[in-house]
Amino acid sequence: MTMSYSDKVLEHYNNPRNVGSLPKDDVTVGTGLVGAPECGDVMKLQVKVDPETGVIADAKFKTFGCGSAIASSSLATEWLKGKTLDQALEIKNVDIVNELSLPPVKIHCSVLAEDAIKAAIADYKRKQAEAEQGHDNGTAPAGGGTAAAGVR
Amino acid sequence: MPADSRSLVLQSCRHCGAGAPAEAHFCPQCERILSVARHGDYFTFFGLPRKLTIDLGDLERRFRDLSRRFHPDYFYNASPAERLASLERSSYLNDAYRVLRQPIDRVEYLLKLEGLAPAGRQQAGADASRLEPGLLEEVFELNEELDAIHRARAAGAPADEVSRRLEAAARPIEARAAQQEERLAALMARWDELMEEAGPAPRPVAEEGGSSARRQTLEALRTLLDERSYVENLLQLLARERGELHP
Repeated sequence: MTMSYSDKVLEHYNNPRNVGSLPKDDVTVGTGLVGAPECGDVMKLQVKVDPETGVIADAKFKTFGCGSAIASSSLATEWLKGKTLDQALEIKNVDIVNELSLPPVKIHCSVLAEDAIKAAIADYKRKQAEAEQGHDNGTAPAGGGTAAAGVR
Repeated sequence: MPADSRSLVLQSCRHCGAGAPAEAHFCPQCERILSVARHGDYFTFFGLPRKLTIDLGDLERRFRDLSRRFHPDYFYNASPAERLASLERSSYLNDAYRVLRQPIDRVEYLLKLEGLAPAGRQQAGADASRLEPGLLEEVFELNEELDAIHRARAAGAPADEVSRRLEAAARPIEARAAQQEERLAALMARWDELMEEAGPAPRPVAEEGGSSARRQTLEALRTLLDERSYVENLLQLLARERGELHP
């Protein structure tokens, strides 16, 4: 028997929300790039934060992987918009599993999305700390990389 | 289990009660087929040392020889216990052969045998950073490029242009893959050397500290398997695109 995806997974897979990229050198953008070694999937998730309010104004993702990984990251970007960073960090992989009715073999896709959120926020915070250190005129420092998987 | 028990684990014959060494398949006393011992492993079963370099021709000869000796047809008139033992041994033999024949499966099996966590498990942040720096970024970019090539072809871009672009993307992917195969071979050889030095029946690697060379070698192999799975995906995508371009 082939594994069947839930309706919600299919819905996100067929109409993924927020696919795309934000400028990764922008100090108000945090980028998380994570991978799942068990299947070779890679996921990039980005947040654009309003530095005044700390609220996530925009979120984008690009995922190369299975339908569940795409749906997990699509759902994550939907949930992220309008949340503060602290609220965003409260999103747990089980919330994604429940919302998408992911089967046990696809739980790692939701873990990947949670890791990507954390990595993106960590990258944003790192950039903000660097910007504060280096500048008092509010301009962005040159460079600014991508946070690798996980939280430093 | 004491550290040196591996070589001493005795099986006992259910028929006559005699003891037999772990690698035996037939009772040394009554010559009846033994049921599969609980503490066995695939290397011992084949009469091989726990090393990663395996001569596939030799492995196949051992497999054929054992297949013949365990074949259920020979036990048609034997007792139910022996018939069951021949089925068990045949089935275990097939599993063992399938795993040991493939280098990657062999390494994964060794990790398990030595008590280490398997490759491919989602790693916490600290562990993920052990991947070669820049690997995920490069893998992501190459995925993007293959995706763009796929779209260009679907949109009717000229075949020679698509082909040029595809081969340009193929170079770094295939270079990564070749480099990983080299590292795999080197690490496998390193493990074999360390097993030579360790002498017979060293304790399981899981019981050794982080500074143990055997442990470091197995952990490096595990990281390499993780890195390999990303490149493996790219190779599959590449093969698919090439297939669609030159059907």
